[in-house]
Formats: sequence, structure tokens, C-alpha cells
Amino acid sequence: MSPTIHVQQLSKTYKVPEREGGFSAAVRGFFKRKYKEVKAVQRVDFKIEQGEIVGFLGPNGAGKTTTLKMLSGLLHPSNGNASVLGFTPWELKPDYLRSMTLVMGQRNRLSWDIPAADSFLLHQAIYRIPDNEYKQTYKELDELLELEPLMKKPVRNLSLGERMKCEIAAGLLHRPKVLFLDEPTIGLDITGQARIREFLREYNKRTGATILLTSHYMADVTALCERIIIIHHGQLKYDGGISDLSKKIAPFKLIGVMLAESNSHDLSKYGELVQNEEDWEKQYIQVKAEDVTRVTSRLLADLPIHDITIADPPIEDVIEQAFNS
Amino acid sequence: MFLIFKRLWQVNWAEQWQYRANLLMYLLYWLVSPIIYLAVWTSIAGVKGEVNGFTANDFVTYYMVLLICDQITSNIIIHTFAYKIQDGSLSGELVKPIHPMLTNALVNNIAFKMLTIMGLIPIWIILFFLFKPDFSGVTLSGVLLSIPAMVLGFVIGYLLSAAITSLAFWTTRVYSIHEFYFAIILLFSGQFVPLPLMPKVIQDIAQFLPFQLFMYYPIQLILGRLSAEQIIQGYIMAGVWLVISILFFNWVWREGVKRFSAVGA
Amino acid sequence: MQTLKLLSAFFKMNVQMSLAYRADTVVNILLNLMWLGWELLSLNIIFSNTETLGGWGLGELIALLGVFRLVNTLMIALIWPNTEKFNQSIRDGSMDYTILQPVNSMFLVTFSRITVWRFWDLILAVVLIVVGVNMSTATTTPLQILTFILLAITGMIIIYSLWIVLIALTFWFVKFDNNVTILQALLDAGRYPATVYPVWLRIIVTFIIPIAVATTIPLQALRGELEMTQILTFILVSIVSFFLASRIWRAGLKQYSGASS
Repeated sequence: MSPTIHVQQLSKTYKVPEREGGFSAAVRGFFKRKYKEVKAVQRVDFKIEQGEIVGFLGPNGAGKTTTLKMLSGLLHPSNGNASVLGFTPWELKPDYLRSMTLVMGQRNRLSWDIPAADSFLLHQAIYRIPDNEYKQTYKELDELLELEPLMKKPVRNLSLGERMKCEIAAGLLHRPKVLFLDEPTIGLDITGQARIREFLREYNKRTGATILLTSHYMADVTALCERIIIIHHGQLKYDGGISDLSKKIAPFKLIGVMLAESNSHDLSKYGELVQNEEDWEKQYIQVKAEDVTRVTSRLLADLPIHDITIADPPIEDVIEQAFNS
Repeated sequence: MFLIFKRLWQVNWAEQWQYRANLLMYLLYWLVSPIIYLAVWTSIAGVKGEVNGFTANDFVTYYMVLLICDQITSNIIIHTFAYKIQDGSLSGELVKPIHPMLTNALVNNIAFKMLTIMGLIPIWIILFFLFKPDFSGVTLSGVLLSIPAMVLGFVIGYLLSAAITSLAFWTTRVYSIHEFYFAIILLFSGQFVPLPLMPKVIQDIAQFLPFQLFMYYPIQLILGRLSAEQIIQGYIMAGVWLVISILFFNWVWREGVKRFSAVGA
Repeated sequence: MQTLKLLSAFFKMNVQMSLAYRADTVVNILLNLMWLGWELLSLNIIFSNTETLGGWGLGELIALLGVFRLVNTLMIALIWPNTEKFNQSIRDGSMDYTILQPVNSMFLVTFSRITVWRFWDLILAVVLIVVGVNMSTATTTPLQILTFILLAITGMIIIYSLWIVLIALTFWFVKFDNNVTILQALLDAGRYPATVYPVWLRIIVTFIIPIAVATTIPLQALRGELEMTQILTFILVSIVSFFLASRIWRAGLKQYSGASS
């Protein structure tokens, strides 16, 4: 079977008109525009199988949203190919649009002035969902997201978290097989984030939907995705298991040391000192994975150690390193 | 005090200049009605020779002068101020030691007018060549007499609009009230047609209302079509309405601010 | 069938929305009646000073007022609110969602907002037309009534097409959010027969911003002043303009998705 999402050499170059200040420049620009080329996505390749949840990572402006927009069909690529469920997304075939969804955390699809229930009914008509199927889907979504109490209030009176729940539910009423989620938890508090996350995991388990999501919150990614794809400056930097990431990109461990008499010893000769803002009591040194045993035994032998821990570096730091490599 | 107005002018002029494209659209929008009325009445007068003493040229000159007069005496305070009361952003201005409606908003209105009049001049000249009005009836003394009338028309109109805008302290439907007020102006100011062509009852009422100061009265002054008696009567009415509108505005504003601070919006 | 279902879904949603602002709706209807009163008064003023305007009698002008109100309803019930929604969706990016829905995007952009209570204007308009035609001294044949209805529809299709072109331009010039002001500004010219206007204004309202095509022209058909070739021309023009408008809309979408660059 062919993969659900198959991306080959996908590239997008924007032409941005160069604007100079001043009236005469504006007149000149009107007749002969100068363009600057911005390479948003460059020759990206990946395959995603049915039922996978993949985290799509990269710093701001890396090309994540551009890629998602191409895969959902909003943007036409300048080069390369993509197929999703066997469709070419940017042909915008109604059958394709009915089998996928794009949810953007910063955009509203529901009307503000009316209760979400009414917008849902409009979606039912637009996506031609038969009544019984609609009721069934709604019941399931309600079970997972506790929508019912929110349905009767005008959307403008909902909290951000409540609104996001409704936005996501609206995007799923037609039971899409592929979900593109762009920052689905943005702006939510910790419990709100956790609830959405839990929902996505459960939805994926129940329906076997394929999910590609971007998020600023690493917790979203570590909780949901076994696989991540990292892009930076429009180029693919990493594609693989989240647990392998640290091995491949940053084969380091962090040794945290709490000394009996504090700070009187210089630890820098054992490895690189790193800051850890969450834990002031310990000092942290970063060492190569294969050196951990050796350095630890030396530390224990040399110094009056009160407590010692060994851990993987935080995923954020690893990814940060991946961007810079 | 002078310095305050100078600074306010600089700020508001710069602000209006930013919106000059929108302003041009507004100007086009606003121009259409008088030109249509002009076309309708000149066509009637053209067929019959004259309508109730007005010849085709009388109509052309009337509406050509109306374009200028309306621009000078009208204001846009409902659009620039009512929302500040509604969304509460007025509080920031209330704590300043100057009256928000009589300083900043006023200067803002005048800056808006200056720019629209600048935009109007070339259009007016084009219309002049299209309609070829005969302005031989215009006298210097008529123009001079019309200037205080227009200033009075602007001041009274501004105070009345400001008072209506202040109703936003009580109701969210202030724009609907303003639309009603707008219809009243249309009826009694001579905007649609010179007042002598209106039904007798409207003419009789219009004499005692301030709205003819916005258009009919100064236009006819410029065109030299009023008798000495009418001129005196008009200025007396203007004086009376100036006092009424000052008192009325002050009262509405004072009560409104009281309510605003009581609600704590 | 599917289209009708969708339309009724849009309609229901918009009824919901206007119910959320019930009191405003009542006030708006009152203001609307006030303006109708003013329009009739202004016709009364005109006709107390003359017997004909551009060769047309009072009855014909009342009928024209009815046709004008039809066009005005199109403007206020559909074009205005949807333009506002469209411009906002370009600004905040929710246009993306519109494009990704499995329904023709021009259809969505046209009908997603409907000022429902304005539909009562249609009844008023029909009453005005019927009263006006009856007051008119000229006799009208059923064929004339038929061409009148036909040309009123073609006129509105032409205005609608122009609107689509105007908002599609926003895809190229993002800052073009004054897109329909020009249409609204010249709308008032539809209240009176274009024959009373000076030539330059008549050219503008017939060929550039064709308000008169939806107001004066159908009335002329009702009076039997149009020849068959003219009638056919207007029908042809409306078909061509609708076709062109949807082509330009599609080109705009391509521009939006970067397919054309």
C-alpha cells in the first residue's frame, strides 16, 4: 500500500516585491517591479503511513506552515510533488477536501455571533454529512471533548480553551482521514493543552486517522508523537523516532551534581558546564554518552558528592542543536 | 491654549493625511447625491423654463455652492467619537485637562475637512466646466455675509452632532439615532432642493430650525438671493440656536460623563 | 438540490445571527420605513413642480423606485455584509478555511452572510412596482412585463459580476478594502431615470458602474421602449460578464495560492 502522505522534492519559493520608500520609487515599482526570492521550503522529502502521528518541528519561519498549506492544498508548490490519500492536494478536488482537515490555532472558522451548534449544522450541509452519521460523530466528539455545555453559547462568550475545543470539533465533523494541525494548542493554559493532546491521542486510536502537527509546545510533541520531522531554513534536518533524536543529533548526557560544601570546586575539568534554571541546587555538566561511566566514577572519587543524577538533555535543547547543525 | 491647538493640529493633520485614500473614496461617495439632484432639477427646469422662479442656472449654481457649503458646515464626530464612549477608551481622554469633544475631536474634524476640501477643489473645477454655471449673481458682500453664517452653521451643527454622539453614554443605538437626525437635516436644510420648492409646511418649520444654516441660508447669501429682511431674520435665528445648542450640548455632555464615571465603563 | 440545501443552511444560520440582535432589527426596519417615506415625499416634491421627469410620469418613477429598492436589497442584504466578511477573512487569514471547503468558493463568498430582515424590502419593492405600473397611463402588455423581469434579473447579474471582480482584485492588491465603495456611491443614481443625467454621468452609470442597467433599462423595457436586439444584447452581456467574473475569481484564487507566480 502506498503511504498516506508522500512528499517528494517539495519546494516553495515566494516572490516578494521589493519596496523602496518614496514616491518616485513607487512609480518605478509600478512599471517594473523588483522581486526578491524567498525560499520557504526546499526539496523536502518524507512519507507518512496511515495512522501515524508525526510532529513537525522547526523555528519560526522554518517553512512548517508553508508545507502544511501545500499539503492541505492552499498553496501551489513551485516545484516537486506531494500526494495525500492518492490526491494531489492543490487540485482542491472536493473528494479530497472532504477527507482531510486543516486546523489552525490562530484562525477562526466558527462565527463569533452565534452558538457553535449553528455553525456545526452549516458544516454538516457544506460537507454533505448524512444526519445519522453526523449524530454519531457528534456523539463521539462530545464524549471526548465535553462539547455539549458549550454548544448553546455564542462563540464570543467562550473562553479560549473552550473555543479551541469547538474549532477542533468543527474541523472533525466530516471524519477526515488526514488531520493537519497548525499550533492547535497555542495560547491555551497547561490543562487546556493536556486536554487537547489527550483528545488527539484518543481520536487517533479510535479512527486510525493520520495526524501531522506543528507546535511550539514540546510537551505536545513528546506526548503525542513517536516520530518527528524537523525542518530549518526550509530544509529537512531530521526525520525519525523522537527517542533516537538525542542519540543521533546530540549523543550527550547531563550529569547533575550536588556537592556537600557548595560551589567550592571547579567542575569544568570534567565536562562542559551547562545552566539549568529549574534546579539551582545542582551544577550540571554535559558529557558524551560513552564517557558517562568514566566521568561519574571520577567525580565520586574526587569530590564530596551529596547527590548525583544522570539524565538525557531536555528535548528542546536537542532540537535547538539540531537546528544549528 | 494656542499651543495646545497647534499641537493637536499637527497630530490630527498627520493622522488624516494617513487616511487620504479612504478620504478620497468618502468624497466620491458624498459627491454623488448633490450631482444627481442637480441633474434632476436642471432637467425639470430645462423643460419648463423655470420651476417656481428657479431657472436651470439657478439650480446649477445652487448645487455647485452647496458642495462647498456642506463640506464646510458638516462634521464627522459621530464616526470618530461614539465608539470611544462605547468601548470605554474615552476614559483615557477624560483624565486629560482638556475637553475631549471641544479640543481634540474638533481639531480632528477640521483637519478632515481641510483635506476633503483640498480634494474637492480639482473636482469642483471639473464640474464647473461640465455644468458651466453662471455666477454673475454672486456679490462680494454676499460672500462676506455668508462667511459668519457658515461658521455659525458649523459651530451649531458640531454642537448638535456632539450632543447626539454623547447619547452613546446611554444607548448602543446611537448610530440609528444619528441616521434619523440625518434624515431631519435632509428635510429641513435645503440639501435635496432649495427650500422654497419644499411643501409649505416644511418651509414654515424650517424657518425656525437651525438646519437651513448648514446649507440653504449660506448658499442663498452667496448667490445674493435673500432680501435684507430674510438676512436679518436668519442671523437672529442663528444667534438663538447658538445659545440653545451650547446649553443643550453642555447639559447632555455633563450628564453623560456623570453616568460614564458612575458605571465605571 | 444540494445547492438549495446549502442555501437554506446559510439562511438558517443568518436568521440565528439576526435573532441575536433582535432589537436592532426592529430599529432598522423602522429606519427603513422612514427612508421609504422620504423617497415618496421627494417624488411628491418633484412631481408637484413638474408633470414629467425625463419623459417619465409619477407612476413610472414609483415603479423605478421599486426596481431601485430591489437592487438596493441585493446590495445591502448580500453584497455589503459579504464584502465585509470577505475583507476580514483576507485580513485574518480565515479565507484559507473558505477555500478548503468542498463547495464552490464563489458561492460561499456570496452567501455566507445574509441580512435576513432585508428580505421584507423585496415585498415593498414588488408593491411599489405594481402600484407604479398601475398608476402609469401607458398600457403594458404581458410581454413587456416579462422582458422587464428578465432585464431586472440580467441587470442584477451584471452588478453582481462587477462585485465579484471588485473583491477578486483584493487577491492581487491586499490593501484594496475600499473595494465596493464606488459601487455603493453610484447606487443612488439608480433612483432616477438615467435619461435626465448629463451624458458623461449617463455613460458612467451605464457602462462603467452599470447601475442604470439594472434600474432604468428594465423600466424602459416595461414601457416598451427597447427593441428586441437591445434586449438580447443585455442578456448576452449579463451572461458574458458572469462568465468573465468567475474566470477572474478563479485567477484570483490562483494568485492567492501562488499558482500563477
